[in-house]
Order: sequence, then structure tokens, then C-alpha cells
Amino acid sequence: MTKTSGRTDLLIALVLIVVAIAIPFQIDSRYVLGQIVLALFYACIASQWNLVFGFAGIFSLAPVAIFAVGGYATAMLCFFLGWSVWAALLPAALVAAVFSVLIGLACLRLTGVYVALLTLAVTQVMYLLIVTDTECFVQVGSVCRQLTGGPGGFSRFGDFGTRQLLKGDWMIGNYAIVCTLFVVIMVVTWVILKGPMGHAFRAIRDNPGYAVARGINRFRVQLLVFGLSAFLTGLAGGVYAAHFQVIGPTILQLPQLMFIIAIVVIGGTGTFWGPLVGTLVLMGADELMREVGEFRTLGLGLIIAASIVLLPNGLVGRFRDLMRYAGRNRSAGLKTSKDIQ
Amino acid sequence: MKRRQLLTGLGAGGLGAAALSALNAGAAHAQTGDPIPIGAALPMSGPSAGDGIEFKNGLDLAAAEINAAGGILGRPVEIHIEDTREMGADLVGQAMQRLIDRYNTPAIVNGYNLGANMVELDVAADNDVIVLHNNTQIAHQERVKSDPERYYGGFQTDPAEYWYGPGCLNFLNELVDAGQWKPANRKIAIVASAVEYSIVIGNAIRDKAAEFGWEVSVYETVPFPTNQWGPVLAKLREDPPAAILVTHFLAQDLAQFMTQFLTQPTPSLIYMQYGPSLPVFREIGGEAINGVIYSTVIGGLPDAFAAKYREDYRANFGDTASWLTGSQTYDALWMYATAAAVAGGPGEPFNGEQARKVAGVLKGMVHRGMSGSFRFDPEGLVAYSYPTETKDPSLGLPHQFLQHQDYRTDPKLIGPQLYADSQFMLPPWLS
Repeated sequence: MTKTSGRTDLLIALVLIVVAIAIPFQIDSRYVLGQIVLALFYACIASQWNLVFGFAGIFSLAPVAIFAVGGYATAMLCFFLGWSVWAALLPAALVAAVFSVLIGLACLRLTGVYVALLTLAVTQVMYLLIVTDTECFVQVGSVCRQLTGGPGGFSRFGDFGTRQLLKGDWMIGNYAIVCTLFVVIMVVTWVILKGPMGHAFRAIRDNPGYAVARGINRFRVQLLVFGLSAFLTGLAGGVYAAHFQVIGPTILQLPQLMFIIAIVVIGGTGTFWGPLVGTLVLMGADELMREVGEFRTLGLGLIIAASIVLLPNGLVGRFRDLMRYAGRNRSAGLKTSKDIQ
Repeated sequence: MKRRQLLTGLGAGGLGAAALSALNAGAAHAQTGDPIPIGAALPMSGPSAGDGIEFKNGLDLAAAEINAAGGILGRPVEIHIEDTREMGADLVGQAMQRLIDRYNTPAIVNGYNLGANMVELDVAADNDVIVLHNNTQIAHQERVKSDPERYYGGFQTDPAEYWYGPGCLNFLNELVDAGQWKPANRKIAIVASAVEYSIVIGNAIRDKAAEFGWEVSVYETVPFPTNQWGPVLAKLREDPPAAILVTHFLAQDLAQFMTQFLTQPTPSLIYMQYGPSLPVFREIGGEAINGVIYSTVIGGLPDAFAAKYREDYRANFGDTASWLTGSQTYDALWMYATAAAVAGGPGEPFNGEQARKVAGVLKGMVHRGMSGSFRFDPEGLVAYSYPTETKDPSLGLPHQFLQHQDYRTDPKLIGPQLYADSQFMLPPWLS
């Protein structure tokens, strides 16, 4: 990665931070702020899936499972042990990381579609185990609560305290927390990608044979990316659960996973800003199509299909191609005028 | 003169209309005030879209009648819908917040939303709006009781799903006691699906079975939704129970259950949950659904009082439209309109003082709607169920037991006795 691209990333980040700070002053709709918060959660998961798939080349379909583990661990620590949400977030993220490493130990000996199948199976098994859990673990009033929360999931296990602190403006408080989370996740991801680890990820993705020949341990590097990305995804899951004060098995359903994949594909796999761009496009399109009712899902499907056909490298990839093309033309133009002189 | 005859001729929402007209008599500007936006976060797409459409129909019909009666203190009501798609807490919460932010709705009248984990109550509390919903969950009253000051504006306009358990077992025993059914044994099989509503009912039946003299021989949980009933039916055929109680509730899946069951029926009574009330159950199942018993703790009654409502519903939305389902939001909107008028107006979001006045009226009122009598438990703000929860039919919604006796016609109401208009018939595979 060049110094120029590093400076560009920094410039984009600064602009985004200014926009993020301005948003609560410009938008007083709790709904719009809520949608932005939701978009930030999607961007968090997508950026970590992009790290695993886009940069390290592991076709894992476990991002929502790891996100859910983070959310469930947070909720369970609060619900059963009475912890505060703040205290539960980091241990829950650690639980998600351990969970992911265990999946990694089982599936990283495999490659390609087999990794996808195994991780997808893990997600679906988790969903089925939770929704079919009918045994009463504790009795809360007249409601029976299962160990996993069952099909109803967990709710009312605690929050960030913003409601008590900010009253009617609690959404702004939660927005600030989720924004901070997103910034932390992006900064950590950027540092990973800029460092030797990032180079190792890309080397394994682009030419595993050559990377191994140069002394990179494929299994260990891939396990590392599994653990690192899972810690951040799990942290996001915990914050998600605390924001909505609910975590349930619906998060594990296939449409959620497909939405995350679509975000990364549209934004651009293997690009740092791709997940954010993809999130903005898909969430924006979804919002704009609210009024067309039953055509909304069709519209989203068409956008995804068109992106795959017309933008194989995603929006960020296409933008980068255009910039390169413009740069080449500029150089060619300068050369021609020099020749004439 | 019978009570039913006395009530014949009263128009749909007749009592409510009379009350509203009286309240509107003093309004200086009948039908000239600003419209009152009423929100509805409904599953207009996804697996519960069939019900979502009926909920919308119920709201549209009630709004038209309320406006014809002069609106709420002279202000017409205006319905705004937001789709909750596959439902779930995030989608339902965001849909409700959008209604409040975009249309300034002082009240939201939902049907049901699955997996929402009572997020409705938090949105209502955060914005000081009234919410009426039919989630049919015991979790509602637990949440309200946990912080009554905060959740003052959340009302569940039907009884909790829990009452299906004892209600169903009690009904089976009544059939046996009346000599209308001679069970082959004292075994029951419970088939639940992987959603809280279905499992809470399944668990309630399981937990109470022994008390009512039944033994649970099979308790099977199937995915939601599902139409592959082969493995479950194989288990049931191995050890046929006297009754098969299916607490899964999607009409299309239940119709499939019946067609697959009849290829090799067991001598078992079949009881199902809610889904058979929808026209699609009859359309898909055809003759195979004859004999099925189902129950609902809320639904339009086939009585004289609701005759005009049924007629208007079908006239407006077609012969196959389910007035039984639409009545849920129809009654809820009438209740809200009456309460808002009595309280001196609906107010607007973040006007906690006015919202509390409206909630206060709702909490104390008794409303005879198309589904029966509504009265809220003052602590949990959930409608009472008759006869299992309250013995007074004027204060509780009848837990209705219906049977499909001819798939070409409406199902017959066979219980509770006070409301029944037909007798139980042995299903074809048992007779």
C-alpha cells in the first residue's frame, strides 16, 4: 500500500468523522438516526467479513453467527449473571473470538467452497438449536426462559444507560457509541491491513503456494484473521444487543447473511472502504424503495444482480479503475504535448 | 327476546359509533379538523402477509366508519401503514419509529408481529404514544408489570397465548364428558413450531396435561415455516394418540399437514392453532380440512351483533376476505377512537400528559367489539380471556373453538357454549 493511498484513506476518514459529528446536529428524526445506527452495524460486520473473505481469501459464511455469539454472550452475561452491559461487552467479544477460532480449527484445513459449506452449516445449526430449545431454564415471573433464550431470544437485560442520562435524546447517545465502535473497528482493520499481517493475508489469498514458500504459515495466519475479525464482529454484536435491548435467533436467518454478502459485493471485495460504500448504497436503496411496497425486494435483487454483472470489483473497484484510467490518460496527454514541443 | 336477537340490527361498531356521535355532538367543527394520523406497523410482506392485509382491511373499515360518525372530536382519522416484513425487534421498532417521526402518530394500532420481543412497548414509552397490538403474548404483562410507570401506553388487545393451553385441554374434557367424543386412549401429541408463540402454547399444554388427565406421548418441534410433515406424521403413526394438537399456526402449512395426514390417518382428533381461521387454509386443504378443530382467543364472532360488520367487510374486501382476522384491528381502532374522544383528544407524540389520559380511559373501559368483550387487566394491560381466565362473558374475549365441517362454508363455532351456534361433529376419519 502506497503513502498516497494512506493519505487518501486519512482524508476520507477525516471527512467522514466531520459528517458523523454533524449528523446529530442536522437530523432530529429518531427514525433516521436509528437507520444510520443500523447501517453502521451492517458496515461493522461487512468490514470484518471483508477482512476474512476480501483480504484473506477465506470463503467463510459465519459472520452473522459470530455477530450473534457476541450479542448472545452479552445478553446472557447480563441476564443470568446480572452484569452491566458495559462490563459484558469485552468478555462477550472474547467469547466470539474463541468460538470463531474453534470453527477455524475445524474448517481451515479445508479450502474454498468446503469452508463456506461448513461455516454455513454452523450458522444454521446454531439457529435450529436456539429455536428448538423449549426447556425451561429459569422462570421469570410467569414466563419460562430457556438457556439460549429460545425462539423469543433475550430482552430487557440492560442498556447503555443513555435513556436515563439523556432522556428523549437517548438515540443520540447510542449513535455516538455505535459511531465510536465503527471508528475503532475501521482503525484496527486499517492498522492490520497496513502491517505485516495484512501483507500476509493478501499473499495467502493471491498465491498460497508462493506465500508458503516464503515462510508464511497459511493455517496460522488464517486462524489469526478468524480470531481478530471475530473479536471485532462479536464486539459489534454485543453493542447491537445492547442498543436494541434484544437479541434473538432471527439474526441468524439467511436473509441477514445474504444482505452482508451483498453489501461487500456491491461496495467492492478486498477494498477498505467497500463495505461502507455498499452499506450506504443498499440501505439507501432500501429506504428509497419503502414506498413501492412489494417491489422493494425485487428492486434490491435487481441492484445486486446489476452490480455483480456490471461492477465485478464493486463500486470502489470501479472508481479505482476510473481513477487509474484518468491518470493514464493524463500521463499520455502530457507525453504527447512534450513530444510536440 | 334473546340477547342475540336484541343485538341484531345494530350496525358494525354500533355501540362505538353511538358513543362517538354523542361525544362529537359538542365538537364545533365536525369533520373539519386536521386529520389524526394513526400508524400501523404490519407484516405486509413475508410469511404473515396474509394476516397483514386483513389487519389493514380492518383498520380501513373502522377508519371509514369512525370518520362517518364524525371522527375523533370532529377530526377524521388517517391510517398510515409501515411494512414490518419478516418482523423481529429491529424491523418492528424501526417501522414504528418511522411512523412516529414521519406522520406524528399519537397512536399505533398493530396486528401481531412475531419475534418483536415487545419492542413495541419501548417505542411507545420512548415517544409517549399509545400502542395497541395483538401479539398474544404473556411477555406483554410481564414487561408492563416490570415498570408500569414507563409502559403505561402499551395495550395487548387479546389474551396471552398461555390461555390456549388450559383452554384446549378443558375443551377436550368437555367433549368427553358430554359423550360427543370417545378417545381411544388418554394420550395427546403436541406439534409446535420454532417460534415463541407456538412453543409457549405447546409448553402450556404439556405442563397442564397431567392436571387435566392427559399424557403427552409426543412433543415435536418443527421449523418455522414448514410443509414437510412426513417425519412428524411417521412418529404419530407409530403410537397414535387420542388427539394431535398442532400449535404451529401458518394456514398454508396446516393445510398441507391435513392433506399429508389423510393419506394414512390415525384415530386422533386434530386440533390446530389460529391458521384454520384464514380462507387460504380452506383453499389449499379443500375437503381434507373437514373435521379440523381450531381455536382462537380473538377473532370476529359469527353472531348477530357482528353481522353488519361481516357483511361490510366482505362487501369492501371480497368474499374470501377474512373478517375473523380483520376484526382484531377493527376493534382496536374503535377502542382507541372512543378513548381518545373521551380523553379530550389524541394529543401527539411526546405529549405524555395527554397520552396518559387516553391510556387511563382505555384501562378502565369495557368495549363490546366484533370479537366479544374487551376489558384490560389493569396491572398487565392485557385483555381478559373467557371462560378460562374470567368467568364473566361481559368482561372477557371468548376463547372460541371452531370446527370446519364443510370446507365450502365458514367454520362452525362449537364453543364456548354461550356463544356456540353449532354442535361438534366427529371428523370423517373417525366416524
